[in-house]
Amino acid sequence: MKSRGSRGWGIVRVAFLAVLTLFTLLPMVWMLLTSLKTQFAASQYPPEWWPKNVTFEQYSLLLSPATETGRDFLRYMFNSVWVSLASTVLGVIVAVPAAYAFSRFRFPGRQLLFYSVLLRNMFPAVVFLMPLFILMRWLHLVNTEFSLILTYLTFGLPLSIWLLKGFYDNIPAQLEQAARMDGATRFQAFFQIVMPLSSPGIIATAIYSFILAWNEYLYALVFLNDKSKLTLPVGLQRFFTEYTTNWPGLMAASFITSVPVVVLFLILQKYFVRALTEGAVKA
Amino acid sequence: MAEIRLHDVVKTYGSMYAVDHVSLTVADGEFVALVGPSGCGKTTTLNLIAGLIEQTAGDIFIGERLVNDLDPKDRDIAMVFQNYALYPNKTVFKNLAFPLKMRKMARADIDVKVRAAAKVLDIEHLLERRPRELSGGQQQRVALGRALVRDPRAFLMDEPLSNLDAKLRGQMRAELKRFHQDLNATVVYVTHDQLEAVTMADRMAVMNGGLLQQYDTPARVFDAPVNTFVAGFVGSPAMNLVPAIVVNQGGSFILRGSAGWNFPLSSRNARKAVAASGPGVILGARHSTIALHRTATPDTMPGRIYTVEPTGDITFAHVRVGEANLVVSVTPDVRLAMDDDVWLGFDQNRLHLFDGVTGGAL
Repeated sequence: MKSRGSRGWGIVRVAFLAVLTLFTLLPMVWMLLTSLKTQFAASQYPPEWWPKNVTFEQYSLLLSPATETGRDFLRYMFNSVWVSLASTVLGVIVAVPAAYAFSRFRFPGRQLLFYSVLLRNMFPAVVFLMPLFILMRWLHLVNTEFSLILTYLTFGLPLSIWLLKGFYDNIPAQLEQAARMDGATRFQAFFQIVMPLSSPGIIATAIYSFILAWNEYLYALVFLNDKSKLTLPVGLQRFFTEYTTNWPGLMAASFITSVPVVVLFLILQKYFVRALTEGAVKA
Repeated sequence: MAEIRLHDVVKTYGSMYAVDHVSLTVADGEFVALVGPSGCGKTTTLNLIAGLIEQTAGDIFIGERLVNDLDPKDRDIAMVFQNYALYPNKTVFKNLAFPLKMRKMARADIDVKVRAAAKVLDIEHLLERRPRELSGGQQQRVALGRALVRDPRAFLMDEPLSNLDAKLRGQMRAELKRFHQDLNATVVYVTHDQLEAVTMADRMAVMNGGLLQQYDTPARVFDAPVNTFVAGFVGSPAMNLVPAIVVNQGGSFILRGSAGWNFPLSSRNARKAVAASGPGVILGARHSTIALHRTATPDTMPGRIYTVEPTGDITFAHVRVGEANLVVSVTPDVRLAMDDDVWLGFDQNRLHLFDGVTGGAL
């Protein structure tokens, strides 16, 4: 009886997951297929389901520094990598000590501070667009990458701190005390004992910050005008307006843009899942 | 190894005294148990000695050195934690090597030291394992190994046996005692289990409410508790404590209970009783010093059997006397049933009298 019942559920589960996978994967697949077609094949109706003449022409165009399109695209990509990496690294540098302090130390205003950190996430990002723009203009950062790096930092930090605090809460304080008795300073105890144990959390928050920064469009659009400073999402949008008829080119650009995120996530997803569920059940 | 000296040490949290003017000296090579109920300040005291928290006032000496301002790492003492606190991402070998590595010992010397410690504790075969692959008893040994691998000046132990099952705990108790004697180690051992304190310690410091109640050998603490708290805490089952008033009956003194019983005092006990700050005193008697009679006997306390607990070689009878509940031990051949009437006789030479107001021994 029991095995029959669970087999029935198994089928439902597999079917459900299959539909869900199809739903998420189809756009990606279609994007990839279109990017490999010729321009003529891409505009046919009814659509050519499978590209007859596979061509990597669009990819070589986008990734070659010889053409203007290629130079633009590579520049956007470089900008995106730089902005995302910088906000990720800075994010980890700020989030790790902040989360550690929230977890370990008792100081006046601790609760208030912790919740005010989370407050940022309760509002839609667009609410902060004008205030932040004015702030950036006042700081003379408009039209520089730093405006975005700073902004993305404030976007990523609340959840990063929150996730990491869960990690530190789960690392017994006695481990650090033991290390200090064994001859370590507070910093050595942190770097040699606590840091390695919290590395899954650090990796997870780093991926999260990176993806957040990599995908962000609205602020990048508003804060930057200089074409040479644009990031990929905004640059991609420019391509859409400039080359409306070149579907394979657009799809190739879109595909290249989404690859880093997917690869990052696939490699590190086990840390991500662990970070999100850590602390859910007290050991 | 070194002596540890606490001089008038205070630790407050806000207005709460976690450790209230505690002074005590642990002699070089002595095993001292800090014992008391949870929240009594024993673990705080241990952490103060370790340097993990800072005292509000007072001085702590390790050997001749005043360590008030020294970090834990500079106090050169080792600690064994209740949950062992083994580094989960390091192998047993690396756990044992960590304190030596922190002292910048040469790699070859570390290897020799770690293997020697592992041999002493019979964990050589576990060196490449990680802590989570070990049983509770093995983890306990590794924690001990990490403490002794670097010849510290003293060992601090925070309830190291409380996570083990009863059988293993008995075995480790014996091993710890042996370990202390073989190494001639100075040990400060925190426990809430008075049995551990009594069986292992050279001296025990009984604490309550941040105050050091009594600091003496287990035998002395058992035989001459300084107040009702110590009397009620040490010994299993605890000492029976019955409130009474002292009455002068034509020159001879008797104790009278609220249940109506009268108990004449010997002249020695009468002298003690009249020294109390008021007429109220508390009569204390260990279960083994009380005689249980089946028939009315002069100078006894009438009671009624509440329940009977046979444990095999000894039977504990819980006896209700008015409001009080006394535990009396009898040999297993004595047949007792619930609600039997019994009469309790006290040994004048082995009973204790405490002040009814202060609780102090008279």
